[in-house]
Amino acid sequence: MNEKPTLTSTVKALLYLLPALIILGVFNIYPIIKSFLMSLYTDYDYFNDVVNEYGFDNFVYIFQDPEFWLSMKNTIIFVIGVVPISIAISLAIAILLNAKIKFKGLFRTIYFIPFVTSVVAISIVWRWIFHTDYGLLNYFLGLFGVSPIEWLTDPTWAMPSLIILSIWKGLGYNIVIFLAGLQNINKQYYLAAQIDGASSWRRFLHITVPLLSSTTFFISIVSIINSFKVFDEVFALFDGKPGPAYSAQTVVYYIFENFYNNWEFGIASAAAYVLFIVIFIFTLIQLYIGKRKVTY
Amino acid sequence: MKKLLLLMFAAVLAVVLVACGNEDSESASAKEEGDSKAEEKTTENTEGIGTVIDSPVEIEFWHAMSGDHEKALAKITDDFNASQENITVKLVNQGSYDDLSQKVMAAAKAKNLPVLSQAYEDWITEYLENDLVTDLTPYVNDPKYGWSEDELNDIVEIFRQSNTWDGKFYAMPFNKSTRIMFYNKDYLEEAGLEVPTTWDELRTAAEKLTMEKDGKKVVGLGLENSVTLEFNQWVEQAGGEYLDEESGEFKLNTPEGKEALEFVNGMIQDGVARTAGEDGYMSGPFTRGDVALYIGSSAGIPYVAGPAEETGINWSAAVLPAGKEAATPFAGTNVTIFNSATDEEKLAAWEFTKFLINTENTAYWASKTGYLPVRYSALESDAWVKYKEENPVYGVGEQQFDAGFYDPRVAGANELKNAVAKELDKVLLGEATVEEGLEAAQKAADNILGN
Repeated sequence: MNEKPTLTSTVKALLYLLPALIILGVFNIYPIIKSFLMSLYTDYDYFNDVVNEYGFDNFVYIFQDPEFWLSMKNTIIFVIGVVPISIAISLAIAILLNAKIKFKGLFRTIYFIPFVTSVVAISIVWRWIFHTDYGLLNYFLGLFGVSPIEWLTDPTWAMPSLIILSIWKGLGYNIVIFLAGLQNINKQYYLAAQIDGASSWRRFLHITVPLLSSTTFFISIVSIINSFKVFDEVFALFDGKPGPAYSAQTVVYYIFENFYNNWEFGIASAAAYVLFIVIFIFTLIQLYIGKRKVTY
Repeated sequence: MKKLLLLMFAAVLAVVLVACGNEDSESASAKEEGDSKAEEKTTENTEGIGTVIDSPVEIEFWHAMSGDHEKALAKITDDFNASQENITVKLVNQGSYDDLSQKVMAAAKAKNLPVLSQAYEDWITEYLENDLVTDLTPYVNDPKYGWSEDELNDIVEIFRQSNTWDGKFYAMPFNKSTRIMFYNKDYLEEAGLEVPTTWDELRTAAEKLTMEKDGKKVVGLGLENSVTLEFNQWVEQAGGEYLDEESGEFKLNTPEGKEALEFVNGMIQDGVARTAGEDGYMSGPFTRGDVALYIGSSAGIPYVAGPAEETGINWSAAVLPAGKEAATPFAGTNVTIFNSATDEEKLAAWEFTKFLINTENTAYWASKTGYLPVRYSALESDAWVKYKEENPVYGVGEQQFDAGFYDPRVAGANELKNAVAKELDKVLLGEATVEEGLEAAQKAADNILGN
């Protein structure tokens, strides 16, 4: 199979790759380069597409904009609120689903449904669940004597509501990946441990957790990246606004608002690049930790 | 197998290439056609606008109407198309007003604008600055296609004003609404209250009507979520002004502005008023009987009438209670024609615009939607008068013509209103004091206005 590359084989390979390259180029690579250039537009005539001046003013602007820092803070709170809880819950459910229970297939489907349902549809349902006067959640809390919480209209509760929705929405995907990971663990280990008299908790701690670490690592990277990019959930849950008094404004919402509502393309692009760098740094840190802690 | 794959791939590539190529050549030839047409026209442009439509023209009208509003618009458009030999108007629903605005901007950039679209006044200011809209004055004055002096003056004056920039028409009023006060008749009657007509009466009524009823919490006064976005209404009622269009000066941070914000915020903090919150629009809570009074757009009438019938709410509407002054903003959009259209398309759009707001249609439109008729003749027409007798709520809006004003039309007004609303929302949510809110609003506004 290890043929030396010749001109014909290179051309042939390129031809095979071409469709993918064209699509990636047009829809991924080009926008990335273009938005980097746009972040440098400081004086831009939108309609005639004339850039009168380039510079770093947009970056200076966003770093001085309290709105941007608020969005960044909200986003980080969101990431911290969603990722660990989501991983813990989905791991627990995955282990249950991996055990010998009845209707395993049915439950797997049920848990996967949120992932394939559109965010807008989910948000409509959750808006009803969160409704102050008529919502399901406040009804249940009422049974325990908790007075109605204004989930969606009180600035202090807007972020928790968003986090609850997002955890629920992300479970399905994480569970499926965890299930795949669990099924890759050789049963022999468990049997051996059982013979040695290890309790189920110790088996979980010393077999499942280490052998699942590469899966957990993958999920945590994907979840963190996705959580940093949260937008649809905010937009749909709060009806096109980033929560009451902008209490759930995230970085992507900040980018959206500057781009579409204020026509500040340079500022939006600059913010997008800052977000890109933040995610990049987080991923690097994870990879560094991953190298030392993850057992393959 | 390999050969087959290669063949398939080559076929796909060929299709893609051909498709791309075709598009290019098509648009190029269309452009050439347009250019040659434009040349012809300049030579024969001797009297009036001098355009003749002698071949089929199809034009797109971008709008943001939905539900009953969209049905009424479709009916008028169908009537128009049926009455015309060569002109076909195609309605294109672009979603919400925000979506519409975004799509028009994107289309302008892509040089792909429709022939006509709904637009707010401040959008048009923005379009004007970028030379996107057609001056309609020649069409209005044209001896063949235009309007007589009387016909022009038949358009309600405030709407004529709000569509004039430097003495030229750049749009025509279409769906104009005003704020009215909906009230629950039964609740008022039970509390022994008259319909409030002043701020003091409004406050008293809101207090009295905030009550427990059949185990249900009723709040006296309902306000739309956009109350802070349209705060000019309260400021003007307090005798102040939101923004001076001439000087471009933001004037909310004044004693009048403070009075207005204190009044509204006071009722909310005391729990006698609420915003629609998660319900989106107040028509929902109102028709469920959760609020006794609500201040909202006259265009909300059909959205109240339908559900109220189901829930059995006995309701009516009245003019807004006055503060120091009676004042009500006229909202809603206009129809504007874009510059990028050919002369034939522009004329076709003008013909449609005239039809859309002729006496009969503007009255029909108003009766189906709760928007206001934009012509005096329509207001006096038998059909409309009769309709109002049967449905008195539809007549409330026009009683306020004298108290009406329109939004500032400065460029960036949208961004400004949003930024101000953000700060005022914080006050209503109890996150900031009235003073802090006004100051922050002033700062945000100055920042955008570049003052």
